[in-house]
Amino acid sequence: MTTLNINGVVHNVTVPDPNMPLLWVIRDIVGLTGTKYGCGIEVCGACTVLIDGSAERSCNMSVSEAVGRKITTIEGVSADGVSHPLQKAWIQLQVPQCGYCQSGMIMAALENFPGGDGSGISNVCVCGTYQRIKAAIVLANTL
Amino acid sequence: MPAELVLEEPVSTVTEIAENEAASETLQTSSGPSRRAFIATATGGFMLQFCLPGLSRVAQAAGTVAPTQFNSYIQIGADSSITVLFGGCELGQGSMSGLAQLVAEELIVAWSKVKSVSAPPSAISYITGGSSAIRTNYLPLRTAGAAVRMMLIQAAANTWGVPVSECMASNGIVTHTPTKRTLTYGALAPAAAKLTPPTNPTLIADSNLKLIGKPLARLDIPNKVNGRAIYGIDVRIPNMVYAAVKHCPSLGGTLASMPANANGITWVNLGNAIAAVASNTYSAMAAIGEGGDNGGGGGANFNWHIPASAAQVNSTLYAAQAATLMASGKPVNAELIGNPAAAMKTAASTLTATYSFPYLAHACMEVLNCTVNLTSTTCEIWAPTQASGWVQATASAITGLPLTAITVHTTLLGGGLGRKIEQDYIAQAVTIAKTIKKPVKLTWPREEDFGRDQYRPMVLARVQGGLDAKHNIVAWENRIVTPSILAQRGWIAAGAEDGQATEAATGLPYAMLNRSVDFVAHPATVPIGFWRSVGCSFNTYVIESFIDELAHQAGIDPYTYRRTLLANNPRFLAVLDAAAQLGGWTTALPAGHARGIAISEAFGTVVAEVVEISGATATGLKVVSVACAVDCGRVINPDSVTAQMQGGIVHGLSSVLWGHITFTNGTASVRNFNNYRLVRMADMPVIKVKILSNTNAPTGAGEPGVPPLGPALANAYFRATGIRVRNLPFFPAASTMSDG
Ligand code: FES
Ligand code: FES
Repeated sequence: MTTLNINGVVHNVTVPDPNMPLLWVIRDIVGLTGTKYGCGIEVCGACTVLIDGSAERSCNMSVSEAVGRKITTIEGVSADGVSHPLQKAWIQLQVPQCGYCQSGMIMAALENFPGGDGSGISNVCVCGTYQRIKAAIVLANTL
Repeated sequence: MPAELVLEEPVSTVTEIAENEAASETLQTSSGPSRRAFIATATGGFMLQFCLPGLSRVAQAAGTVAPTQFNSYIQIGADSSITVLFGGCELGQGSMSGLAQLVAEELIVAWSKVKSVSAPPSAISYITGGSSAIRTNYLPLRTAGAAVRMMLIQAAANTWGVPVSECMASNGIVTHTPTKRTLTYGALAPAAAKLTPPTNPTLIADSNLKLIGKPLARLDIPNKVNGRAIYGIDVRIPNMVYAAVKHCPSLGGTLASMPANANGITWVNLGNAIAAVASNTYSAMAAIGEGGDNGGGGGANFNWHIPASAAQVNSTLYAAQAATLMASGKPVNAELIGNPAAAMKTAASTLTATYSFPYLAHACMEVLNCTVNLTSTTCEIWAPTQASGWVQATASAITGLPLTAITVHTTLLGGGLGRKIEQDYIAQAVTIAKTIKKPVKLTWPREEDFGRDQYRPMVLARVQGGLDAKHNIVAWENRIVTPSILAQRGWIAAGAEDGQATEAATGLPYAMLNRSVDFVAHPATVPIGFWRSVGCSFNTYVIESFIDELAHQAGIDPYTYRRTLLANNPRFLAVLDAAAQLGGWTTALPAGHARGIAISEAFGTVVAEVVEISGATATGLKVVSVACAVDCGRVINPDSVTAQMQGGIVHGLSSVLWGHITFTNGTASVRNFNNYRLVRMADMPVIKVKILSNTNAPTGAGEPGVPPLGPALANAYFRATGIRVRNLPFFPAASTMSDG
């Protein structure tokens, strides 16, 4: 039995392999699907979560490394899903297109929130929403 | 989906077929769809069923018959809420919202009252592609909305025993104007459902439009900021197992032997691939040795039968073949105007240039996936698909079940870009479900998504231009050597002219008296498919680079040169001028900066872009800004059009700077994003978009932003460095990405 603290909730889960990346434990075993698989090799950032407040790419972090630490996923950004300043700004500026990268983008922005303009984010958005992401981070800082 | 919807309800036998004259006429003048009837009927509660007959050009090319069955619905709830269901999909282009916006307009309701949902397919093939969603459905949806409004008003008039002319609809309420009596749409819905839809609904006059043309908030966005949006890859059904697939490393190869089931892994033979089935995605991917840095420890060794022909799938060989075909292949003429050969001989000066383009991957953020629950009598499929109608047919062929037994749930798509029209991943998931007899979700590892894409085809293209003494183009000969997507699928005969391979090369807007465009089919066997803007993605690069080369030869500013050539084409001229102005074409540039310009028409939409760069060297450059002007006819949601232009520009930029896939022994050179660089935040230019709005029929928005970016960038780069990039991509050696 592996104990994980995700978004303030304790999950006791059975993982088939202690090396299983946190990404797949979150998605397939815990069942929180907001965190996305994009590349599996720490390049795209779709799988970004916060571990004790710092942004980590969960596709290459083994679940055992996450035990005993505070894991925050996109589902934990706000209780109603729309009221965090980043979420408000994202909606106001209509940032997402397909939306698939946006969980990772918001988690990357959350690491430094409030503050910054997103220029340090290296996540990939195939739809090319970067300009709006930057603008939304700047806007969120004022909300 | 709201619980009150009963979509399996049998279609009413009372079917109204009404010719909507006005709608049909206008549809005919827009590019593509032909005259169709408006077919609608209402059913209990209130649901107007109607047929959206528009087919995307991919569906047309495949010979798909335009639907005549009901495939779209407008539902009014007891609370007067409006739900629009239609057989499209939302892959980020905002068209589900855009289409609902049309219905909301005609129903005169607040935007907050409207929902938009993918309808399960009946026997339809609504294919999202060719930037077609708004183009083909604009008038049919407005017509349907208007029909519902008129039925509600009629129901109110009947209830009160007053003439229709004394009633008006607004904000979900019908009012009898003289007495101020009111009834809500929800209250009127049951009575309205018993009425016959009007044969010729009256659309709201342009001067009274309240929602069309407004930047309304898209309906799909809130759930995309909190993880609640469900893409195909997120689907979870009871007792589901997880599969991952690995294809033979060489194209054309097949599985030679099956490993034994062990360690919780069940193997499934898929012919050209093998699937591992496990209790979670990671274990399935690890079993095949993919999905992560260490592939979960190497994975199993598989035995593949690789045919000798795989050695012929080789980019060096292909380049040589293309050169031979360019020199001596048998061309099919796609366009001939005047006598270019004769005019070339008498031209004051001539110029020839040859350009080459590589295979490109789609690289959707969401990898291919599909979830299937198959029983002996039913098959339920959840998939991120651009072609739900085809999914039904695919599953029917594999399971032997009738189409009516197959339900397709179109999920959100984490990008489609043309790749999710294809059926390979659907067929695999259905086959796995049939073999293991369990509900299953198949997820392709990213390595397979790159390794078994259906790529944007490679191209070799040559243009020869002849100028008179005044720099007019008197002769133009363009020859395009490329594999044909349509021929590879058997949709046209091998060697026949493929209009998608020559699109944007024919019908040029520029004044040129004599011109020919020839196509030579390249028989390369790499699987190819529809990539954002298809043939325009390379032909526009050729045309707009070559126009720049001619301007340079003539010693004329490339913007001015284009203006002269477009003197008799006011639509293009207006877009070109708008981009030049937005991009500050005539203003002074900082030291080390340079600008380039290009214009093209794709999917009926004209886009011009001005690119400004700095720091250009032989190995790199910085894109400072892109100014984009677009004429896509009537704009439904300007913010969505702006987003699509921004996205198209970024897409075009990644592809020309770095995008390329080569083949050796039938194996693609790229397996993951580390070798397929895309624009990221640090690479981003400032993008400005200006929409030239008008009341012409709406044209496409999803793709037309892509084509002009490449040549505008190339033209800027030439001005900065004197280097003319004729072989794409610009910087193949810089096409890697690392983490962070
Ligand atoms: S999935 Fe983790 S960085 Fe791409
Ligand atoms: S919104 Fe589609 S990948 Fe970013």
